Amino acid sequence: MNSITSAFSKGIEKSGIDRKKISMPSDVPFNPDVVKALGVDYFQIPRGRAIAFGTGLKLGNPSLRVVPVAGDLMTLGGNHFVHGARRNMELLIICVNSFVYKKIAGKPIPSTQSAFSPYSTFEEPFNFPHLGNSCGAIYTARWTALHTEELADSVAEALHKHGLSVIEVLAPGPNYYTDIDSIELELLKFYHENSTIKNNEDPKNVAIVPDEKIIVGKFTDKERPTFIDSYNVQHSKILGDKFTPHGGKNG
Amino acid sequence: MKANPTDVLTGIYYIDGDVAAGYGALAAGCKLVAGYPITPSTEAFEAMCRRGPQVGTVFIQMEDEFGSISAVLGAVWSGVKSMTITSGPGYSLMMESIGFGAMLETPFVLLNIQRGGPSTGVPTKTGQADMMQSRWGSHGDYELIAISPDSPQEMFDYTIKAFNLAEKYRCPVMIMSDECVGHMTEKVVIPEADKIEIEPRRFYKGPPEEYLPFSPDPDLVPKIAKAGDGLGLYITGRVHDERGYPVKNEEFKAKYVRRLVDKIRLNKDKIIELKEESTDDADVVVVSYGISSRVAVKGVEIARQKGIKVGTLRLVTVWPFPDEKIIDLAKKVKAFVVPEINYGQIVFDVARCCHGQANVVLIPHGGAGVHNPLDISDAIESAAKEDKKIEGVVEFKTRLEKIVFERGLKLKE
Repeated sequence: MNSITSAFSKGIEKSGIDRKKISMPSDVPFNPDVVKALGVDYFQIPRGRAIAFGTGLKLGNPSLRVVPVAGDLMTLGGNHFVHGARRNMELLIICVNSFVYKKIAGKPIPSTQSAFSPYSTFEEPFNFPHLGNSCGAIYTARWTALHTEELADSVAEALHKHGLSVIEVLAPGPNYYTDIDSIELELLKFYHENSTIKNNEDPKNVAIVPDEKIIVGKFTDKERPTFIDSYNVQHSKILGDKFTPHGGKNG
Repeated sequence: MKANPTDVLTGIYYIDGDVAAGYGALAAGCKLVAGYPITPSTEAFEAMCRRGPQVGTVFIQMEDEFGSISAVLGAVWSGVKSMTITSGPGYSLMMESIGFGAMLETPFVLLNIQRGGPSTGVPTKTGQADMMQSRWGSHGDYELIAISPDSPQEMFDYTIKAFNLAEKYRCPVMIMSDECVGHMTEKVVIPEADKIEIEPRRFYKGPPEEYLPFSPDPDLVPKIAKAGDGLGLYITGRVHDERGYPVKNEEFKAKYVRRLVDKIRLNKDKIIELKEESTDDADVVVVSYGISSRVAVKGVEIARQKGIKVGTLRLVTVWPFPDEKIIDLAKKVKAFVVPEINYGQIVFDVARCCHGQANVVLIPHGGAGVHNPLDISDAIESAAKEDKKIEGVVEFKTRLEKIVFERGLKLKE
C-alpha cells in the first residue's frame, strides 16, 4: 500500500493539480498521517459506496477532483461502478486489488483468481479494465505495486481526463499475516516475474488468468461527454435561458 | 437568513403533498437531489427534476437507494444542501448511510412517503409502519429528528423546517409523511422569499490549521467544513476524536457517542413541535401524527358531541419523543387513545411515558387505508367510561378487524 500511496502522491505532483481540490472518498482505511502527507480531503465511507459518495461530491462542487480509492469496488460497489462508468461521471477510481480482503485473510475477491484462501478459489474473476471499458470508462489502466513510475504517470494523466477513469493496482496487502515481509517480497517477486507491459492492448484480452503473465499497461484512452456535460447540453436545449449550466469541465 | 427569491415559487397552488415537499426543498435552498423513483414518493422527485434545473438544483437518478443517499452525503460535504426521497423498501436500503450520516454529523433531509409494508407491501396505498425504523433503523446509538406533516401546506412548510433543523443540529432529519398526505391535493400557499427563514450552514471560518471538525460549540454541535477548502479533512465513520481521527478506547467512545445523542436530547425543548388542543380539562387525549391526526379530527368531533371531554395532541415532531409532555398529561387524564396505521409503534412510547398513570389504547390499522372515524370516537368513548387502571397497551377492536376476523379468519382465541 505504501508504494501505491507514494506513487499516487507523485502522480498528483506531476499533474500539477492543487491537492486541496482533491477529495478521496474511500472504503479503505488510511492512516491520518498518510492523508495529511497526501494533502487531500479524505472520507472513509461505508464499504462499496466510494463512487456514489464521490458522485455527490463532484455534483455538489464540480471544481473538486474526486478520486475514489476503492477496495470493495466490484462487490458492494459493483452497481455504482457500472453506472458511474455509464454516466461518465468525472471520477478517477483507483481500485486496489490486493488479492485478498486485507483483513479477512483467506477470502477470495471477485476480481482475482488467487490462492490466498485455504483451498484456493474456484470462481471466475472479473476482468476489471474490460468491464470498465465496456461500461463506458474513458481511461483504463492496470499496474502492480512494482510499477510505481508507470502508476504515477497514469495518475497524472488520468487526473486530467474528463470522465470516469479507472486504474487497477495489484498490490500485496496482507498486513495481517504474521510474516508480512516475506509475503510482500514474495508477491513483489511474483509480479516481477509474471507481469508484462502491453500498452493499448484490447481490454478484453487482459483478464488475469492463472499461470499466465499478468498484462499491465494503459488500455483505454478516449473522450466522451461527461454526465455534467450532457446534463448541461440537454437542459440548455430544452430550457434555453431559464437554465444556468452547472459546473462544466472541471468547474 | 432569508430564502433566495429564485428558489421560491411564490403563489397559491392546488398541488399534492409530494410536489409541495419538492417545492419546499427548493425554497430551503436544496441544491442536489439524488433519488431512485419509488411509489408513492415519485411526484416529489419529479417536481424537483422539473423545476430544479431552472433554479440551479441538480438532480440525479442514482442506480439504487444506497447510491442516492451516499450521493446526498457526498454533496453535503461538498458544501451544498441536499436531500433524498423514498418510500418503504428504499428506506430500508438507506439505513446503512443514515447511521453513517449521523456519525459524521452530516446535515441532510430524507423524505419518506410511507406506504403499506412490510416488504413490497401495498405500494400505492398508505401506511405509518416505518416510525420505529426511522428511530432505530441503523445500527448503533444515534439520535435524529423526525417530523410528520399532515397536509400539503405542511409538507411545504415542514420540509423547509427539516432543512433548518438539519443545519442547526448537524444531523439527519426524516420527514415521515405517508401516501395519503403525499397524494392529497389541497391549497398550498407559498409565501414570498423574504417571509421564509433559512438556517445557514454553520461553516467554520477560523484559521485552517486550527480547525477541528468535531469540536462542539456550547450547544454540542460542531462547526462544519467542506471539501476543497484546504482544511485537510479526515472524515470517518469510525468513532473519532475532535480532529476526526479514529480512536478505539472506551473513553473516547463514551465521549463521542454520548455527544451524538445528547446534542439532540439536551436540545429537545427547542426541537420538538406539538399541536395541542383542549387538553386542560380532558378525560381522554388522542395522540396522533400524520394522516391519522387528520382522520382523528372527525372522531374527536363525534365524541365531543356525546359530551366526552377529549383533547388532542398532535406529534408534529415524532423524534425526539416528547416524553415530558406525555408524563405531564398522564397525571391529569384518564386515558390516551393512539390511532396509527400500524400494529403499535408510537403507542408504546406513549405507554412508556405514562408509568401506569393513565390507560393507553391503541387503535390499530394494517395499512392500505385510514381509520374509520367512528372507531376513533368509539375508542374515546370506551376509554372515557373505563374506570379501572389497565396495565400495558389496550388494543381497540376496530370495525374492519371485526368484519375480517368474524368471517372465520382468526389469529388467536
